[in-house]
Amino acid sequence: MGYKVAVIGDADTATGFALAGASYTYVHAGKDRTLAKLAKFMTSEEIGLVFITHPIAEELGAEFRRMMRTKKLLPVVLRIPDKTGYAPKVDELYELIKRTVGAEIVVRAEGG
Amino acid sequence: MAAVAVVTPTRMELLKLKQRVSLAQKGHDLLREKMDALVIEFFEVLRRIGEARTGALKQLSLAHRTLSVCSAIMGTIETRQASMEAKRELEVEISTRHVMGVVVPTLEVDKVERNALARGYSLHTTSSVLDEASKEFEKALGLLVKLAELEGSAHAIARELERTKRRVNALEYILIPQLKAALKFIEMRLDEMERENFSRLKRIKAMLEAGA
Repeated sequence: MGYKVAVIGDADTATGFALAGASYTYVHAGKDRTLAKLAKFMTSEEIGLVFITHPIAEELGAEFRRMMRTKKLLPVVLRIPDKTGYAPKVDELYELIKRTVGAEIVVRAEGG
Repeated sequence: MAAVAVVTPTRMELLKLKQRVSLAQKGHDLLREKMDALVIEFFEVLRRIGEARTGALKQLSLAHRTLSVCSAIMGTIETRQASMEAKRELEVEISTRHVMGVVVPTLEVDKVERNALARGYSLHTTSSVLDEASKEFEKALGLLVKLAELEGSAHAIARELERTKRRVNALEYILIPQLKAALKFIEMRLDEMERENFSRLKRIKAMLEAGA
């Protein structure tokens, strides 16, 4: 079944993804409004994939993390860097490993 | 332990408890195996994320660079306007797959890369750098969809892993010791009763012999 793609990001990210064919783009403007929009994306039946940029995800903070914990399988939410290439210091994937495996294990790409 | 106090020291109860212990142990072993398999799967996914992520992020930053060039040449407003005119009907095929009883998403997208005519913005008012930027973003989007699938799987597996771990620990550190303690209590109690009976019989026998 076909699902649509949604993007929450700064203006440039939204522009780029709109050019690439993402159906919904939302330009971040204030925490509360973005949260409301995100909640709408999360409950939408036709959206299967949500991209959100790292700085915004970080700004949304605990509320965002709570949403990620309680969400269903769909939509899949992926955090992406914005045009500054900003990525958080604590990688959420490593957090995940630490929590589930109980040890810190660094996974590197081959040759990386 | 609290559970010890409530069991009645009978042979029937002993048998029942023995059965429960063996069942709990069997469950524990099975869950352990499931956990091991999940860990293997989890690391496989993590390894693939590592590979996919580098490629996708590189492509994304390249896309952002081309878009910046496009904004510089065409103007920011025009670029944005073109993005609004663009056809935005990308569809991602999403289905689910089972890995060790865990439902993980699979995302698939065909034809991310379109030709300039299919994109929907007007060609004679836009520059070729816009086509370039769109192309790079389409490529990036394709890679990110794959990455999203992997990260979605990792999260689903991690959640299941956590749940399994909790159950294994509950069995290993709480239920099984509790049952074993109850078992031991009953055995001791039965032994004690046996000894009591034995000495009672001896005493009665002695009394009878003394009386005879």
